[in-house]
Amino acid sequence: MKLPKYEMEAEDSLEVFEFVSEGSIGSIPKLIKFSETALKGFYNLAFGDKHLLTGEIDDKVVSNNGDSEKVLATIVSAVYAFTNKNREAWVYATGSTPARTRLYRMGITKYLEEVKLDFEIYGLLSGEWEYFEKDLDYTAFLVRRNK
Amino acid sequence: MKTIQELNESKIPIVRINNGLKKYKTMPIFQEKIDKANEMLRTIGLPKPVKNKAARNI
Repeated sequence: MKLPKYEMEAEDSLEVFEFVSEGSIGSIPKLIKFSETALKGFYNLAFGDKHLLTGEIDDKVVSNNGDSEKVLATIVSAVYAFTNKNREAWVYATGSTPARTRLYRMGITKYLEEVKLDFEIYGLLSGEWEYFEKDLDYTAFLVRRNK
Repeated sequence: MKTIQELNESKIPIVRINNGLKKYKTMPIFQEKIDKANEMLRTIGLPKPVKNKAARNI
């Protein structure tokens, strides 16, 4: 996706990324983490704001920094980097709140055709996974690089 | 060697390595979400063969 995105730093396993959101409120450091779950090769994707003084991570805060599209594009970019190194990995994501889950759904929907060139994309609906389709109220998302 | 334009248009980002971030690998952040992901895996699991809108409408 040729969208504006932030420059990122990561440790060498590409499981933890950091970037700085620059918007109307100011500079907000953000952390993205791919955490392996109980199932080998299945990772949870989460991100949140890093508190400048304590370094604590908050994934529920609503920054309202006016750059949500650029932040989402940066997260997608991190997914590309992570899955480029871990080609077989499943990446699972859900929002911390229903509003954030909707934001993810809108982001995927907007670039669906392009993202499908590189990923299998699933949505969780009524307790079942199905191929992601537009306009459905999924509660979680799952992607894996196309074979 | 790739040109600057090719690099800028690549879907794979250029990432600066900062191993100071390694401390977050073992830090129990986002644990609530990981627990929920594990619960989803336990109760639902991975996607099964194709299920889509057309299939739902049958």
